[in-house]
Amino acid sequence: MSKSRISNNIRKLRFLNEEMTQQHLAEKVGVTRQTIIAMEQGKYSPSLELAFRIALVFGVPLEEVFSYDAVTEKTNEA
Amino acid sequence: MSFQQKNITVSLANFTLILGFYLFRVIQMIQSDGFTSTSIFRLWGITIGLAIVVTIIGTILTHIVSAIIEAIRTGKDDPKIEDFEDERDQLIDLRGTRVTYFVSSVGVFLSMLTFVFDQPPLVMFTLLIFFGLVAQIVGDISRLVLYRRGF
Repeated sequence: MSKSRISNNIRKLRFLNEEMTQQHLAEKVGVTRQTIIAMEQGKYSPSLELAFRIALVFGVPLEEVFSYDAVTEKTNEA
Repeated sequence: MSFQQKNITVSLANFTLILGFYLFRVIQMIQSDGFTSTSIFRLWGITIGLAIVVTIIGTILTHIVSAIIEAIRTGKDDPKIEDFEDERDQLIDLRGTRVTYFVSSVGVFLSMLTFVFDQPPLVMFTLLIFFGLVAQIVGDISRLVLYRRGF
């Protein structure tokens, strides 16, 4: 059985970019502050377009903001 | 809590009250032997009318109350409310609508089943509105769960 999820460095990148507020980032990428909060908490995976917009705001490649983790759980086979 | 969540909470409260009113009136009709097609269709009209009016008033009130709360919180005369729907809101709304349609479809099927048990068509029409309201409530609950839990 395998689990997959997308993790991000938005909080860290905000801090490195003059401690940008969630509201400011939300306004720059055209979403609500609640969506930024949900993304930072790992409760929402953004669309590809929004992911690119966020990367563009921070001026870094997409891979520096988002990473795809495939966690594989080993199942005991009888 | 975002504006969309507040809106859904108000809608949930409204539809729960409407469902309560509907059930109360139906039980009243059954007890007073007034369970006739005229009274049921009249109740249909009242319920649908109530749902439309209350939804509109609820949305307007949510806007006003949100603006007042935001004005107090920020101290600005012209507070900015995030009342637009972004991609996450649209996705949650879509999933909630899917749940509403599913419950509604099951409700229609169960309503039709009353014919199998030799019930009059009036029972089916009564159940149709009941399941319509239940579907809306379940849809709203699922939207709130998706906002809280994430996906």
